[in-house]
Amino acid sequence: MWYLAKMIRGMTIEQAIAQLEFNDKKGAAIIKEVLLEAQEMAVKSHNVEYKSNLYVAESFSGKGQYLKRIRIHGRGMFGIMDKVYCHYFVKLVEGVPPTEKPRTGFDQAKEYVQQLRNRTIIHSL
Amino acid sequence: LCSQPPYIVTGPLNIVLSVIFMCTVVPALSVQGPGIFPQPHRNEETEEHSFLDNMFWMAAPKKRRTIEVNRCRRRNPHKLIEIKTNIEPCPECGNLKQKHVLCGFCYEKVRRETAIIRGQIQAQEGKPLNNPAVETVVLYEGEKPAATDAGKRIVERKRQRPSWFTQY
Repeated sequence: MWYLAKMIRGMTIEQAIAQLEFNDKKGAAIIKEVLLEAQEMAVKSHNVEYKSNLYVAESFSGKGQYLKRIRIHGRGMFGIMDKVYCHYFVKLVEGVPPTEKPRTGFDQAKEYVQQLRNRTIIHSL
Repeated sequence: LCSQPPYIVTGPLNIVLSVIFMCTVVPALSVQGPGIFPQPHRNEETEEHSFLDNMFWMAAPKKRRTIEVNRCRRRNPHKLIEIKTNIEPCPECGNLKQKHVLCGFCYEKVRRETAIIRGQIQAQEGKPLNNPAVETVVLYEGEKPAATDAGKRIVERKRQRPSWFTQY
């Protein structure tokens, strides 16, 4: 579920729905339903004009309450099997998704040098 | 040791085979006397003591993998899901489809119609494996069998011919 949530972060909603439609994971169908419902809600009650003008700003999954069951092994041993549940949260924002500028090696070097330059002695004159 | 299903036994599981107590099975003999001789029993015990010292026993992790190390492994790009670049809209219906796969919506539409036709064929035949040794022709409303459809079996459908079912 986390992998799916990570995949659609930052995508436009149409792109996200397309990717989830052709993914074979069980969570893909669930997340697609959630996205469609969120899109409908946005248009109906959140004053969004165009339903495709949305992008996925935040998307993450959290652990839900697990049910515990016994899984029987050989020789009288047993294991505790977890019936896994999770929550999924998504936030859609209207507009074009923000493009992240790719950080080059030169940019990283510049940042490092700037960090070195910012070093100072605290509480000094 | 096996408990009934309604009761959940909580306790740490030791899958790594530590000392397992198995009751020694005493074979039943018709002759009075000890069931098993004491010597093989002693050999078993000495072997159990030495297996713990044997260095080739079982591989086990030395240290707990920290969550940082676990995250590096789980979130490595090769484990993330790749986004597909072969999705495009179907020219017929407009739904999305993969380039090398038939459109799901169009396939479902054709499947429904053919399911109805097959139901009618089944009704015509009556029992299984009763198909005649001739070709089948599906005719819709207002259509008559052409000259080329002389000896063929005719299946009638009470609706207009769908645009995708061409008549050639």
